[in-house]
Amino acid sequence: MGGAKTDIELIKNGKRIDGRKFDELRPIKIEVGVLKRADGSCYMEWGKNKVLAAVYGPRECFPKHTQNSYKAKLTYRYNMAPFSTDDRKRPGPDRRSTEISKVSREALEKIVFLEYFPRTAINVFVEVLQADAGTRCVALTAASVALADAGIPMRDVITACAAGKVDDEIVLDLCQEEDNFGSADLPIAISPRTGMIHLMQMDGILTPEEFGKALDFATKGCLKVHEMQKKALKDKYEKIGEDYGNE
Amino acid sequence: MKEIIIPGEKVDGTADSYIFKEGNDIYSMVLGVVDKQDNYTKISPLTGKYFPQTEDYVVGVVTDVRRGGYNVDINSPYDAYLASRKRYKEGDVVFAKVADVNEVRSVSLSFDRPLMDGELLEISPVKVPRVIGKNNSMVTLLKEKTQSDIYVGRNGRIWMRGGDVIKAQKAILKIEREAHTDGLTNRITEFLNKAGE
Repeated sequence: MGGAKTDIELIKNGKRIDGRKFDELRPIKIEVGVLKRADGSCYMEWGKNKVLAAVYGPRECFPKHTQNSYKAKLTYRYNMAPFSTDDRKRPGPDRRSTEISKVSREALEKIVFLEYFPRTAINVFVEVLQADAGTRCVALTAASVALADAGIPMRDVITACAAGKVDDEIVLDLCQEEDNFGSADLPIAISPRTGMIHLMQMDGILTPEEFGKALDFATKGCLKVHEMQKKALKDKYEKIGEDYGNE
Repeated sequence: MKEIIIPGEKVDGTADSYIFKEGNDIYSMVLGVVDKQDNYTKISPLTGKYFPQTEDYVVGVVTDVRRGGYNVDINSPYDAYLASRKRYKEGDVVFAKVADVNEVRSVSLSFDRPLMDGELLEISPVKVPRVIGKNNSMVTLLKEKTQSDIYVGRNGRIWMRGGDVIKAQKAILKIEREAHTDGLTNRITEFLNKAGE
């Protein structure tokens, strides 16, 4: 990052390139339990991002030498489909996706009660079907909904959101153009209940004041996303309940 | 309609399972329903795997024959060992009681009995209490209306033989789907009466 040169006007008359306000999120859609074979799953659309998350486990841990007698082993795989970007993405793990997988796994390890399931493995798989900036946030948000859907005990449903700097303005939830030609990006993941930060990365340069403002924006964004996660999880069961409710 | 709760959401009252404490408050650790009564609050999870506990009755499938016993798949992350002198072969279905779960989650079974022929149905283990019902009311109802022999394992496996097995299976799947709603027994009675004609 660091702001590639461009002729595009990213901010025009106080509005962003896609017509949003500075503190406005892109439209979000969350579907729970979309995969039959997985123990928990979630399909999420966040702007033009499309992400599918699947959770398996707790299940027997293979290979056996990797199992831990005190807690479950959590694995997280972030993977981008070859057709998810403008140019074909070379399939398979690369440096970027390995890093994202690692930091996201560490974020989830802090909220899952791993010590309840010694000798087992919990496998989280996230496939990015279409990418449009901020996929690590979408992936992590979808993954935690899928974990809740799998019935895995957690301290919280984790939420992620990014803020950044575009044309000297702090904005929430960057889109592809802003990500490419903006000057900073700050994805964070928090526990909405405690406000504890589980993931924080930064790309570009921010002054301490700008950083504070961006963090504040991202935190508020996270809380909004959390409400949607909550609604999606509850809707799955309330719909069945409504058909026969209040007898 | 009972309230649905997500992990990390605050629980009013004094539930004692599926919760964790932080400060003076208690929070749910699972996606579940809250049953709030005057003197207690109970959280029942909506999804999740089976974790063996002593005294549970389970329906298992023999996966391996070993000296003096058998390895049994009990639909759980942990395999079980059954020490028995009865003759089983791989793939046999057994009904057994969980005798012990030790600190490293090795599970041992006892009081085994074979379940021959019959049909095996798998449902989500967290819905099993609803299939059994209060004081076995639901199972008794199913047995009475379908004339089937039904064994319900706490691990989500249900074995059935004889009578109207297909009707029983349909009813159980209906129970599984609507487990968290009110007035279920009435609807199942209705369903079993209607489907019989």
